[in-house]
Amino acid sequence: MIEDSAFALQGLVKRFDTKVAVDGVDLAVPAGSFFGLLGPNGAGKTTTLSMAVGLLRPDAGRALVLGHDVWRDPVRAKSLIGVMPDGVRLFDRLDGTELLTYQGLLRGMAPDVIDARVTELLDVLALTDAGRTLVIDYSAGMKKKIALACALLHAPRLLVLDEPFEAVDPVSGAAIRDILTRYVAGGGTVIFSSHVLEVVERLCTHVAIMANGRISAVGSLDEVRAGRTLEDAFVAVVGGRVATGSELSWL
Amino acid sequence: MALTFARLKLRVLRNGFRGRPGKVVLFVIGALCALFYGAMAALFFLIPFLPDGPDFGPLVPAFGGTLLVLGWIMMPLVWFGVDETLEPGRFALLPLPRATLLRGLLIAAVLGVPAFGTLLATSGLAIGAGLAGGPLPAVVAAVGVLLGLLLCVVVSRAVTSGFSRALRARRTRDLAAVVLAVLAASLGPLQYLLTSGAQQVGTQRLTAVADVLGWTPLAAPYVVGLDAVQGRWGAVAARLAITVVTILLLAWWWSHSLESAMLGTSGGGAVRVRTATGAPVARFFGRGRQPRTAYGAMVTRELRYWVRDVRRRASLITFAVIGVFLPVVTNLGPSADGNLVASSVHGGSMVLVGALAGLGIANQFGYDGTAYAMHVVSGVPGRTELRARTVAYSWYIVPLLLGLAVLNAVLRGDLLLLPVMFGTLFAAYGTGLACSMHVSVWAAYSLPENQNPFAINTGTGVAKSFLAMAAWLAGMVLALPVLLLVLLGGSVGAVLALPVGLAYAGGAVWLGLITAGDILDHRQPELLAAITPRS
Repeated sequence: MIEDSAFALQGLVKRFDTKVAVDGVDLAVPAGSFFGLLGPNGAGKTTTLSMAVGLLRPDAGRALVLGHDVWRDPVRAKSLIGVMPDGVRLFDRLDGTELLTYQGLLRGMAPDVIDARVTELLDVLALTDAGRTLVIDYSAGMKKKIALACALLHAPRLLVLDEPFEAVDPVSGAAIRDILTRYVAGGGTVIFSSHVLEVVERLCTHVAIMANGRISAVGSLDEVRAGRTLEDAFVAVVGGRVATGSELSWL
Repeated sequence: MALTFARLKLRVLRNGFRGRPGKVVLFVIGALCALFYGAMAALFFLIPFLPDGPDFGPLVPAFGGTLLVLGWIMMPLVWFGVDETLEPGRFALLPLPRATLLRGLLIAAVLGVPAFGTLLATSGLAIGAGLAGGPLPAVVAAVGVLLGLLLCVVVSRAVTSGFSRALRARRTRDLAAVVLAVLAASLGPLQYLLTSGAQQVGTQRLTAVADVLGWTPLAAPYVVGLDAVQGRWGAVAARLAITVVTILLLAWWWSHSLESAMLGTSGGGAVRVRTATGAPVARFFGRGRQPRTAYGAMVTRELRYWVRDVRRRASLITFAVIGVFLPVVTNLGPSADGNLVASSVHGGSMVLVGALAGLGIANQFGYDGTAYAMHVVSGVPGRTELRARTVAYSWYIVPLLLGLAVLNAVLRGDLLLLPVMFGTLFAAYGTGLACSMHVSVWAAYSLPENQNPFAINTGTGVAKSFLAMAAWLAGMVLALPVLLLVLLGGSVGAVLALPVGLAYAGGAVWLGLITAGDILDHRQPELLAAITPRS
């Protein structure tokens, strides 16, 4: 099963000083699936995805992209994935067009292909109007969109997106959803992390719920929900405080 | 209130050390260095009060004090940056009167290793005054020492925040031009001063200079002890007044730039949206003729970043200023004649500046911050990466070095020296680049993501900039063979200097690129972690 999945993590572990951030994560993302990685803040989602794409060296375990080990064969593996990290700056003293072109050239794409794709991507993401505004002056939503465009530019078979819907307004969010849905319909695989449950419920075919550095539940959307709403399933898996209505009465 | 700031600063420092033994070790080493040099300097400052001291004794407070204050002005700009553990912007939302904030930040700034070292060093003045003149002069000297420390701290804060405000402005290049022009204009008088000083190195002449310095804020707080011992109470009062007024003026200036720093620069007026025209790739490269590859793209972006990024701009300008200053000062001093000592001082200054030029890339990845992640996920080969960065940096530095050599040759009135100068300068630039490349891969450090281009994270940042100093030294040492060829090779050496120097530089850079590049290939995630600011 590991072999025919688009993306597989095996026993990933990461410690920071004494704290174990990720404690043995195994995950198999089927090809052609729209995979949501859920979890509360600090569950280890970003750490897991960073290790999976080659940004952070794991203490143990391996990550396979379409059968290529990210840490043994990084060049091949990295050419197959498009990544949108969260909390990472862009080369924001370039304007949008320059940034995308730069990404294309870094990936070794041919200039004419870059020209065509950059123009189209900016158009679809409604970033053409920004003109020569530097990315540093973009709004949060625009930054997300340009980062997504960077991940899409070389037409990867797998997209790894960290919090793609965070700080995005509804219109931009709809545009991003639209693009991702079409990408999956065309045979691509998407894995993204989020804690916006509505979006996950609407888009995903498969979900995994992370808590305290481990995968607590994984499967197709219906398997994980098991008849409940996703929110109930999430709270049940993660475990949370249930409000009684009597606290903070002084507010 | 001030106590709260002091506690906050200490707490932030202590938390920064938690779970990082390496950082603690480096901090301890830094503190020990400060202790050692501070104690040495304190002994030195005792000299003027010795009963049978040497002739130059009375000059020590004036010149020593001047050096200290100048150090506090120059060091943050040139080398270490200022410790912004308590960044002013963080207090913007708190209902604090400006005077309180200023006092608090000042106290936080005083709590640090450099201030401790300075205090220790100048304490020699108070002790000496006490030994020579009894308790009253000791108290006067101590007041002078404390005021001097305050002056040092305030002047470094005021200068860096004023400078960073100027650098943020888009007209920075104009500013750089002005700075350079002022420097060039001051060369004439400077030359006169140095040569005349060299001709009669008599104590008389220096005493005159020391007298003048004693009446400027540079040395005023440090000579009061001597005045008190000799019973010149009028002078004591006047000099202390000069110091206090200077401190107040500087504090006023600082508080002004502080306000603008707290307001931030995000609301810099309406951004005019200019429409983009032309095909993306053609537009990206503009008029540049770089190859349309990853390498060309990186060169183009780096070229742009050296101009658009405030920090990088600041480092280029700073280098330009020291680069002009250093060799000019060493060359126009007493060494104008052509003996071996003179030519080694001269050649040595070229090596010094050449290697220093290479240092600009010692934290090249730190400038990018987390944006470097884009290179990691795209799998950019290490050698290509370093080659592109080196080429782009040299695009700015090489013309600067050429101009510098020409300026020196003109000032010395001997254009025939040019090939030799180019040879040593570029050999040292090459070795400096090679060493800095390794430092940039092994010892990158994160820069705080705030508006002050001179701000630096205490601890790791300072410690790792010591490594940059080691790279500077290593670069100079590695360039010695070429210098020796020039110095000892006679006319053959002079002829060979240029080709040998260039070949030497080329070889050094090539070796640096392949070794550091291969290391980079295996260290990308670690490098990214090192330059990610810990928040």
